Amino acid sequence: MAKILVVEDDPNQRLLYEEELKNDGYEVVTARDGREALEMVDKARPDLVVMDISMPGMDGIESMSRMLSQDHKLPIILNTAYATYKESFRAWSADAYVVKSSDLTELKSTIKRVLGAR
Amino acid sequence: MSEFRKDALSGQWVIVAPERASRPTDFPVERRRKGSGFCPFCEGHEEKTPHELFALRGNGSAADSPGWRVRVVPNRFPALNPQTPLEERSDSFAKSMSGFGFHEVIIDAPQHAQSLSELEPAGVRDLLGVYRERLSALRKDGRVSYAMLFKNVGAAAGATIEHSHTQLIGMPVTPPVVRGELTHCAEFARLNNGACLLCNLVEQELEARTRVISEGPHFVALAPFASRFPFETWIMPKRHFAHFEEQPPSTYADLAEMLCALLKRLDAALDQPAYNILLHTSPFGEESSASYHWHLEIIPSVTRVAGFEWGTGFYINPVAPESAAALMGMSSPSRPAAVERSV
Repeated sequence: MAKILVVEDDPNQRLLYEEELKNDGYEVVTARDGREALEMVDKARPDLVVMDISMPGMDGIESMSRMLSQDHKLPIILNTAYATYKESFRAWSADAYVVKSSDLTELKSTIKRVLGAR
Repeated sequence: MSEFRKDALSGQWVIVAPERASRPTDFPVERRRKGSGFCPFCEGHEEKTPHELFALRGNGSAADSPGWRVRVVPNRFPALNPQTPLEERSDSFAKSMSGFGFHEVIIDAPQHAQSLSELEPAGVRDLLGVYRERLSALRKDGRVSYAMLFKNVGAAAGATIEHSHTQLIGMPVTPPVVRGELTHCAEFARLNNGACLLCNLVEQELEARTRVISEGPHFVALAPFASRFPFETWIMPKRHFAHFEEQPPSTYADLAEMLCALLKRLDAALDQPAYNILLHTSPFGEESSASYHWHLEIIPSVTRVAGFEWGTGFYINPVAPESAAALMGMSSPSRPAAVERSV
Protein backbone atom coordinates (compact mmCIF):
# COMPACT_ATOMS: atom_id res chain seq x y z
CA MET A 1 0.00 0.00 0.00
CA ALA A 2 1.16 3.54 -0.67
CA LYS A 3 3.06 5.55 1.88
CA ILE A 4 1.66 9.01 2.65
CA LEU A 5 3.45 11.88 4.37
CA VAL A 6 0.96 14.08 6.25
CA VAL A 7 2.33 17.56 7.00
CA GLU A 8 0.16 19.32 9.59
CA ASP A 9 1.02 21.62 12.49
CA ASP A 10 -2.18 21.03 14.46
CA PRO A 11 -1.64 17.89 16.59
CA ASN A 12 -5.33 16.91 16.69
CA GLN A 13 -5.75 17.20 12.95
CA ARG A 14 -2.47 15.39 12.38
CA LEU A 15 -3.69 12.50 14.52
CA LEU A 16 -7.07 12.47 12.76
CA TYR A 17 -5.51 12.25 9.29
CA GLU A 18 -3.03 9.63 10.46
CA GLU A 19 -5.72 7.39 11.97
CA GLU A 20 -8.19 7.79 9.10
CA LEU A 21 -5.61 7.09 6.41
CA LYS A 22 -4.19 4.13 8.33
CA ASN A 23 -7.74 2.75 8.59
CA ASP A 24 -7.91 2.97 4.80
CA GLY A 25 -4.80 0.85 4.59
CA TYR A 26 -2.15 3.47 3.85
CA GLU A 27 1.20 3.58 5.58
CA VAL A 28 1.40 7.05 7.16
CA VAL A 29 4.31 9.17 8.33
CA THR A 30 3.89 12.68 9.69
CA ALA A 31 5.70 16.00 9.98
CA ARG A 32 4.84 19.07 12.06
CA ASP A 33 5.98 21.80 9.67
CA GLY A 34 7.50 22.44 6.28
CA ARG A 35 11.09 22.04 7.39
CA GLU A 36 10.46 18.71 9.15
CA ALA A 37 8.58 17.59 6.03
CA LEU A 38 11.72 18.08 3.92
CA GLU A 39 13.64 15.79 6.25
CA MET A 40 10.84 13.20 6.21
CA VAL A 41 10.74 13.13 2.41
CA ASP A 42 14.44 12.25 2.37
CA LYS A 43 14.11 9.73 5.18
CA ALA A 44 10.75 8.01 4.49
CA ARG A 45 10.47 8.34 0.66
CA PRO A 46 6.66 8.76 0.60
CA ASP A 47 4.55 8.06 -2.51
CA LEU A 48 2.41 11.15 -1.86
CA VAL A 49 2.45 14.20 0.41
CA VAL A 50 -0.64 15.79 2.01
CA MET A 51 0.56 19.31 2.83
CA ASP A 52 -1.00 21.97 5.04
CA ILE A 53 -0.09 25.51 3.93
CA SER A 54 -0.31 27.82 6.94
CA MET A 55 2.29 26.50 9.38
CA PRO A 56 4.87 28.19 11.61
CA GLY A 57 8.43 28.33 10.34
CA MET A 58 8.42 27.13 6.74
CA ASP A 59 4.95 27.17 5.16
CA GLY A 60 3.56 24.46 2.93
CA ILE A 61 4.03 26.32 -0.36
CA GLU A 62 7.73 26.88 0.32
CA SER A 63 8.22 23.32 1.53
CA MET A 64 6.45 21.96 -1.57
CA SER A 65 8.61 24.15 -3.81
CA ARG A 66 11.78 22.76 -2.25
CA MET A 67 10.53 19.15 -2.44
CA LEU A 68 9.68 19.50 -6.12
CA SER A 69 13.04 21.05 -6.94
CA GLN A 70 14.52 17.73 -5.79
CA ASP A 71 11.86 15.51 -7.41
CA HIS A 72 9.26 17.25 -9.55
CA LYS A 73 7.28 14.01 -10.01
CA LEU A 74 6.50 13.72 -6.27
CA PRO A 75 2.68 13.94 -5.94
CA ILE A 76 1.58 16.67 -3.53
CA ILE A 77 -1.93 17.58 -2.38
CA LEU A 78 -2.32 20.98 -0.72
CA ASN A 79 -4.77 20.57 2.16
CA THR A 80 -5.65 23.91 3.70
CA ALA A 81 -8.40 25.70 5.59
CA TYR A 82 -8.10 28.65 3.21
CA ALA A 83 -9.31 28.79 -0.39
CA THR A 84 -7.46 32.10 -0.82
CA TYR A 85 -4.13 30.40 -1.51
CA LYS A 86 -5.61 29.46 -4.90
CA GLU A 87 -4.71 33.03 -5.90
CA SER A 88 -1.06 32.06 -5.68
CA PHE A 89 0.37 30.72 -8.93
CA ARG A 90 2.89 28.80 -6.83
CA ALA A 91 -0.03 26.59 -5.72
CA TRP A 92 -0.19 25.28 -9.30
CA SER A 93 2.80 23.12 -8.49
CA ALA A 94 0.53 20.85 -6.45
CA ASP A 95 -1.36 17.97 -8.04
CA ALA A 96 -4.53 18.98 -6.20
CA TYR A 97 -5.89 21.61 -3.83
CA VAL A 98 -8.34 20.53 -1.13
CA VAL A 99 -10.07 22.90 1.30
CA LYS A 100 -10.12 21.25 4.74
CA SER A 101 -13.34 19.83 6.08
CA SER A 102 -14.28 17.64 9.05
CA ASP A 103 -15.56 15.22 6.42
CA LEU A 104 -12.48 13.64 4.84
CA THR A 105 -14.34 12.22 1.83
CA GLU A 106 -12.93 14.76 -0.64
CA LEU A 107 -9.38 14.42 0.67
CA LYS A 108 -9.55 10.61 0.49
CA SER A 109 -10.99 10.56 -3.02
CA THR A 110 -8.34 13.08 -4.13
CA ILE A 111 -5.58 10.88 -2.69
CA LYS A 112 -6.97 7.90 -4.63
CA ARG A 113 -7.21 9.91 -7.83
CA VAL A 114 -3.72 11.38 -7.60
CA LEU A 115 -2.13 8.04 -6.73
CA GLY A 116 -4.11 6.37 -9.51
CA ALA A 117 -2.82 8.86 -12.06
CA ARG A 118 0.81 7.94 -11.29
CA MET B 1 5.56 73.77 -3.15
CA SER B 2 2.77 71.30 -3.69
CA GLU B 3 0.07 71.75 -6.32
CA PHE B 4 -3.11 70.13 -7.54
CA ARG B 5 -3.00 68.74 -11.08
CA LYS B 6 -5.84 67.26 -13.10
CA ASP B 7 -5.30 64.44 -15.56
CA ALA B 8 -7.10 65.19 -18.81
CA LEU B 9 -7.56 61.52 -19.69
CA SER B 10 -9.01 60.22 -16.42
CA GLY B 11 -10.34 63.47 -14.98
CA GLN B 12 -8.54 62.49 -11.77
CA TRP B 13 -6.86 65.04 -9.49
CA VAL B 14 -3.49 64.45 -7.90
CA ILE B 15 -1.44 66.45 -5.44
CA VAL B 16 2.17 66.75 -6.50
CA ALA B 17 4.10 67.35 -3.28
CA PRO B 18 7.81 67.27 -4.13
CA GLU B 19 9.00 68.60 -0.77
CA ARG B 20 8.05 65.26 0.76
CA ALA B 21 10.56 63.30 -1.29
CA SER B 22 12.20 63.87 -4.61
CA ARG B 23 15.01 61.40 -5.10
CA PRO B 24 14.76 57.68 -5.83
CA THR B 25 16.67 57.05 -2.63
CA ASP B 26 13.90 58.68 -0.58
CA PHE B 27 11.75 55.58 -1.07
CA PRO B 28 12.26 52.41 0.96
CA VAL B 29 11.49 50.20 -2.03
CA GLU B 30 10.73 46.54 -1.42
CA ARG B 31 13.24 45.01 -3.82
CA ARG B 32 12.08 42.13 -6.03
CA ARG B 33 13.33 38.94 -4.47
CA LYS B 34 14.68 36.02 -6.43
CA GLY B 35 14.31 32.77 -4.55
CA SER B 36 15.10 29.20 -5.42
CA GLY B 37 12.86 26.18 -5.62
CA PHE B 38 10.44 24.71 -8.11
CA CYS B 39 8.58 26.96 -10.58
CA PRO B 40 5.47 25.63 -12.38
CA PHE B 41 5.93 28.22 -15.15
CA CYS B 42 9.45 27.18 -16.20
CA GLU B 43 10.07 25.22 -19.40
CA GLY B 44 10.01 21.49 -18.68
CA HIS B 45 7.24 21.80 -16.07
CA GLU B 46 4.34 22.08 -18.52
CA GLU B 47 2.43 19.27 -16.74
CA LYS B 48 1.86 21.64 -13.80
CA THR B 49 -0.33 24.01 -15.80
CA PRO B 50 -3.68 23.52 -17.54
CA HIS B 51 -3.45 22.60 -21.25
CA GLU B 52 -2.10 25.45 -23.31
CA LEU B 53 -4.42 27.66 -25.35
CA PHE B 54 -1.66 29.04 -27.53
CA ALA B 55 2.13 29.01 -27.70
CA LEU B 56 4.91 30.36 -29.86
CA ARG B 57 6.90 27.25 -30.65
CA GLY B 58 9.78 26.31 -32.86
CA ASN B 59 10.93 23.02 -34.37
CA GLY B 60 7.44 21.52 -34.44
CA SER B 61 7.40 20.81 -30.70
CA ALA B 62 4.13 19.37 -29.37
CA ALA B 63 1.64 21.33 -27.25
CA ASP B 64 2.31 21.15 -23.48
CA SER B 65 5.91 20.15 -24.04
CA PRO B 66 9.19 22.11 -23.93
CA GLY B 67 10.29 24.13 -26.95
CA TRP B 68 8.12 27.26 -26.55
CA ARG B 69 9.05 30.93 -26.40
CA VAL B 70 5.76 32.31 -25.01
CA ARG B 71 2.96 30.11 -23.65
CA VAL B 72 -0.69 30.88 -22.82
CA VAL B 73 -2.77 28.76 -20.45
CA PRO B 74 -6.14 29.26 -18.79
CA ASN B 75 -5.91 30.19 -15.11
CA ARG B 76 -6.22 27.00 -13.06
CA PHE B 77 -8.30 28.89 -10.49
CA PRO B 78 -9.94 31.59 -12.65
CA ALA B 79 -11.69 34.72 -11.39
CA LEU B 80 -14.12 34.37 -14.33
CA ASN B 81 -15.09 31.27 -16.27
CA PRO B 82 -16.17 30.93 -19.92
CA GLN B 83 -18.29 27.87 -19.01
CA THR B 84 -20.53 29.94 -16.73
CA PRO B 85 -23.68 31.05 -18.55
CA LEU B 86 -23.91 34.81 -18.76
CA GLU B 87 -26.91 35.95 -16.73
CA GLU B 88 -27.88 39.37 -15.45
CA ARG B 89 -30.03 40.11 -12.43
CA SER B 90 -31.16 43.43 -11.08
CA ASP B 91 -33.63 45.03 -8.72
CA SER B 92 -34.01 48.59 -7.44
CA PHE B 93 -30.70 48.65 -5.62
CA ALA B 94 -28.60 45.75 -6.77
CA LYS B 95 -27.38 44.66 -10.16
CA SER B 96 -25.38 41.50 -10.61
CA MET B 97 -24.07 39.24 -13.34
CA SER B 98 -22.85 35.67 -13.31
CA GLY B 99 -19.08 35.23 -13.31
CA PHE B 100 -18.75 34.74 -17.03
CA GLY B 101 -15.46 35.67 -18.66
CA PHE B 102 -11.96 34.54 -19.52
CA HIS B 103 -8.91 34.45 -17.30
CA GLU B 104 -5.72 33.58 -19.14
CA VAL B 105 -2.11 33.50 -18.01
CA ILE B 106 0.59 34.37 -20.52
CA ILE B 107 3.95 32.95 -19.49
CA ASP B 108 6.30 35.56 -20.90
CA ALA B 109 9.40 33.39 -21.35
CA PRO B 110 10.57 29.81 -20.82
CA GLN B 111 13.42 30.83 -18.51
CA HIS B 112 12.90 31.98 -14.91
CA ALA B 113 13.09 35.73 -15.56
CA GLN B 114 11.33 37.98 -13.07
CA SER B 115 10.93 41.07 -15.19
CA LEU B 116 10.81 42.04 -18.85
CA SER B 117 14.00 43.97 -18.08
CA GLU B 118 15.78 40.59 -17.93
CA LEU B 119 14.59 39.54 -21.39
CA GLU B 120 16.11 40.37 -24.75
CA PRO B 121 14.04 42.82 -26.83
CA ALA B 122 13.38 39.99 -29.32
CA GLY B 123 11.65 38.03 -26.54
CA VAL B 124 9.53 41.05 -25.62
CA ARG B 125 8.65 41.51 -29.31
CA ASP B 126 7.42 37.90 -29.36
CA LEU B 127 5.37 38.60 -26.26
CA LEU B 128 3.73 41.66 -27.84
CA GLY B 129 2.73 39.46 -30.77
CA VAL B 130 1.09 37.03 -28.35
CA TYR B 131 -0.80 39.90 -26.69
CA ARG B 132 -2.16 40.78 -30.11
CA GLU B 133 -3.05 37.14 -30.80
CA ARG B 134 -4.98 36.64 -27.53
CA LEU B 135 -6.76 40.00 -27.69
CA SER B 136 -7.80 39.20 -31.26
CA ALA B 137 -9.04 35.74 -30.18
CA LEU B 138 -11.21 37.22 -27.41
CA ARG B 139 -12.52 39.92 -29.72
CA LYS B 140 -13.42 37.24 -32.27
CA ASP B 141 -15.20 35.20 -29.60
CA GLY B 142 -17.63 38.08 -29.32
CA ARG B 143 -18.90 37.37 -25.82
CA VAL B 144 -16.81 39.86 -23.85
CA SER B 145 -16.77 43.61 -24.23
CA TYR B 146 -13.36 44.27 -22.72
CA ALA B 147 -10.11 42.46 -21.98
CA MET B 148 -7.75 43.81 -19.35
CA LEU B 149 -4.16 42.86 -19.96
CA PHE B 150 -1.84 43.48 -17.03
CA LYS B 151 1.40 42.49 -15.38
CA ASN B 152 2.13 42.23 -11.67
CA VAL B 153 5.88 42.06 -11.10
CA GLY B 154 7.18 41.54 -7.57
CA ALA B 155 5.21 40.73 -4.43
CA ALA B 156 4.56 44.41 -3.60
CA ALA B 157 2.79 44.74 -6.97
CA GLY B 158 0.59 41.70 -6.35
CA ALA B 159 2.65 38.98 -8.04
CA THR B 160 2.28 35.54 -6.46
CA ILE B 161 5.10 33.97 -8.45
CA GLU B 162 8.50 35.28 -9.51
CA HIS B 163 8.41 33.97 -13.09
CA SER B 164 7.51 36.80 -15.47
CA HIS B 165 3.92 36.49 -16.65
CA THR B 166 0.97 38.53 -17.87
CA GLN B 167 -2.71 38.08 -17.09
CA LEU B 168 -5.57 38.68 -19.47
CA ILE B 169 -9.09 38.92 -18.08
CA GLY B 170 -11.91 39.15 -20.59
CA MET B 171 -15.14 40.44 -19.10
CA PRO B 172 -18.65 41.28 -20.19
CA VAL B 173 -18.45 44.86 -18.88
CA THR B 174 -16.08 47.71 -19.70
CA PRO B 175 -14.23 48.75 -16.53
CA PRO B 176 -15.24 52.20 -15.19
CA VAL B 177 -11.63 53.44 -15.39
CA VAL B 178 -11.53 52.83 -19.13
CA ARG B 179 -15.11 54.02 -19.58
CA GLY B 180 -14.13 57.29 -17.88
CA GLU B 181 -11.19 57.73 -20.24
CA LEU B 182 -13.42 57.04 -23.25
CA THR B 183 -15.89 59.65 -22.03
CA HIS B 184 -13.20 62.30 -21.53
CA CYS B 185 -11.72 61.55 -24.95
CA ALA B 186 -15.12 61.75 -26.62
CA GLU B 187 -15.80 65.06 -24.90
CA PHE B 188 -12.42 66.42 -26.01
CA ALA B 189 -13.17 65.32 -29.59
CA ARG B 190 -16.59 66.97 -29.47
CA LEU B 191 -15.05 70.30 -28.45
CA ASN B 192 -12.08 70.05 -30.83
CA ASN B 193 -13.44 69.06 -34.22
CA GLY B 194 -13.04 65.34 -33.63
CA ALA B 195 -9.42 65.50 -32.48
CA CYS B 196 -7.87 62.79 -30.30
CA LEU B 197 -6.90 63.93 -26.81
CA LEU B 198 -3.83 61.70 -26.61
CA CYS B 199 -2.63 62.55 -30.14
CA ASN B 200 -2.71 66.19 -29.03
CA LEU B 201 -1.04 65.37 -25.75
CA VAL B 202 1.78 63.49 -27.48
CA GLU B 203 2.30 66.38 -29.87
CA GLN B 204 2.45 68.94 -27.05
CA GLU B 205 4.73 66.82 -24.89
CA LEU B 206 7.15 66.23 -27.77
CA GLU B 207 7.25 69.95 -28.37
CA ALA B 208 7.76 70.91 -24.71
CA ARG B 209 10.10 68.01 -23.87
CA THR B 210 9.77 68.53 -20.11
CA ARG B 211 8.18 65.15 -19.38
CA VAL B 212 9.41 63.03 -22.28
CA ILE B 213 11.48 60.08 -21.10
CA SER B 214 12.29 58.50 -24.42
CA GLU B 215 11.21 58.58 -28.02
CA GLY B 216 11.46 56.00 -30.76
CA PRO B 217 10.29 55.96 -34.37
CA HIS B 218 6.80 54.79 -33.41
CA PHE B 219 6.36 55.34 -29.66
CA VAL B 220 6.96 57.91 -26.98
CA ALA B 221 7.38 57.33 -23.23
CA LEU B 222 6.56 60.13 -20.84
CA ALA B 223 5.84 60.95 -17.23
CA PRO B 224 2.20 62.08 -17.32
CA PHE B 225 1.51 65.66 -16.19
CA ALA B 226 -0.71 64.44 -13.34
CA SER B 227 1.21 61.27 -12.44
CA ARG B 228 -0.48 59.48 -9.56
CA PHE B 229 2.65 57.68 -8.49
CA PRO B 230 6.38 58.46 -8.45
CA PHE B 231 8.02 57.46 -11.73
CA GLU B 232 4.68 56.51 -13.32
CA THR B 233 5.35 56.18 -17.05
CA TRP B 234 3.05 55.97 -20.03
CA ILE B 235 4.00 54.61 -23.44
CA MET B 236 1.87 55.74 -26.35
CA PRO B 237 1.99 55.12 -30.09
CA LYS B 238 2.73 58.31 -31.98
CA ARG B 239 0.26 57.35 -34.68
CA HIS B 240 -3.37 57.02 -33.67
CA PHE B 241 -4.67 53.52 -32.97
CA ALA B 242 -7.68 52.92 -30.72
CA HIS B 243 -7.11 49.17 -30.25
CA PHE B 244 -3.79 47.59 -29.38
CA GLU B 245 -4.52 44.89 -31.96
CA GLU B 246 -4.57 47.56 -34.70
CA GLN B 247 -0.96 48.52 -34.02
CA PRO B 248 1.14 47.14 -36.91
CA PRO B 249 3.40 44.26 -35.77
CA SER B 250 6.22 45.87 -37.75
CA THR B 251 6.41 48.48 -34.93
CA TYR B 252 6.72 45.96 -32.08
CA ALA B 253 10.52 45.98 -32.21
CA ASP B 254 10.49 49.69 -31.36
CA LEU B 255 8.08 49.13 -28.46
CA ALA B 256 10.07 46.15 -27.17
CA GLU B 257 13.32 48.14 -27.22
CA MET B 258 11.65 51.01 -25.38
CA LEU B 259 10.07 48.77 -22.73
CA CYS B 260 13.29 46.90 -22.01
CA ALA B 261 15.31 50.11 -21.76
CA LEU B 262 12.75 51.83 -19.51
CA LEU B 263 12.45 48.89 -17.14
CA LYS B 264 16.24 48.64 -16.93
CA ARG B 265 16.40 52.31 -15.99
CA LEU B 266 13.68 51.79 -13.41
CA ASP B 267 15.61 48.85 -11.97
CA ALA B 268 18.73 50.99 -11.75
CA ALA B 269 17.03 54.08 -10.33
CA LEU B 270 14.84 52.35 -7.74
CA ASP B 271 16.85 49.18 -7.05
CA GLN B 272 14.62 46.61 -8.80
CA PRO B 273 11.22 47.75 -7.61
CA ALA B 274 8.00 45.81 -7.96
CA TYR B 275 5.78 47.30 -10.67
CA ASN B 276 2.58 46.90 -12.64
CA ILE B 277 2.05 47.35 -16.36
CA LEU B 278 -1.50 48.00 -17.55
CA LEU B 279 -2.82 48.11 -21.09
CA HIS B 280 -5.64 50.57 -21.73
CA THR B 281 -7.24 49.90 -25.09
CA SER B 282 -10.59 50.45 -26.75
CA PRO B 283 -13.45 48.03 -25.87
CA PHE B 284 -14.06 45.21 -28.37
CA GLY B 285 -17.63 46.11 -29.14
CA GLU B 286 -16.83 49.64 -30.20
CA GLU B 287 -15.71 50.60 -33.66
CA SER B 288 -12.20 51.89 -34.03
CA SER B 289 -12.52 55.23 -32.34
CA ALA B 290 -11.01 58.43 -33.69
CA SER B 291 -10.96 59.86 -30.19
CA TYR B 292 -9.45 57.05 -28.06
CA HIS B 293 -5.79 56.05 -28.21
CA TRP B 294 -4.39 52.87 -26.64
CA HIS B 295 -1.46 53.18 -24.24
CA LEU B 296 0.55 51.31 -21.63
CA GLU B 297 0.87 52.51 -18.04
CA ILE B 298 3.89 51.45 -15.96
CA ILE B 299 3.43 51.97 -12.24
CA PRO B 300 6.34 51.25 -9.87
CA SER B 301 5.25 50.16 -6.38
CA VAL B 302 7.02 52.79 -4.32
CA THR B 303 4.17 54.46 -2.40
CA ARG B 304 1.12 53.02 -0.71
CA VAL B 305 -2.51 53.82 -1.40
CA ALA B 306 -4.02 54.62 2.02
CA GLY B 307 -6.87 56.45 3.74
CA PHE B 308 -6.62 59.79 1.93
CA GLU B 309 -6.47 58.16 -1.50
CA TRP B 310 -9.33 55.73 -0.73
CA GLY B 311 -11.42 58.54 0.76
CA THR B 312 -10.92 61.19 -1.89
CA GLY B 313 -9.82 59.43 -5.05
CA PHE B 314 -6.90 61.92 -5.07
CA TYR B 315 -3.33 60.67 -5.04
CA ILE B 316 -0.37 62.38 -3.41
CA ASN B 317 2.71 62.06 -5.58
CA PRO B 318 5.94 63.19 -3.93
CA VAL B 319 7.95 63.22 -7.19
CA ALA B 320 7.19 65.87 -9.77
CA PRO B 321 6.77 64.17 -13.16
CA GLU B 322 9.28 66.60 -14.63
CA SER B 323 11.92 65.37 -12.14
CA ALA B 324 11.01 61.75 -12.78
CA ALA B 325 11.33 62.27 -16.55
CA ALA B 326 14.71 63.95 -16.12
CA LEU B 327 16.02 61.06 -14.06
CA MET B 328 14.45 58.28 -16.13
CA GLY B 329 15.53 59.91 -19.36
CA MET B 330 19.20 59.82 -18.48
CA SER B 331 21.25 58.34 -21.27
CA SER B 332 22.98 55.89 -18.95
CA PRO B 333 20.81 53.45 -16.97
CA SER B 334 22.88 53.76 -13.82
CA ARG B 335 22.13 55.04 -10.35
CA PRO B 336 23.50 58.59 -10.01
CA ALA B 337 26.35 58.82 -7.51
CA ALA B 338 24.87 61.91 -5.86
CA VAL B 339 21.83 59.98 -4.72
CA GLU B 340 23.39 56.71 -3.60
CA ARG B 341 21.25 55.00 -0.98
CA SER B 342 22.62 55.40 2.52
CA VAL B 343 22.61 52.34 4.77
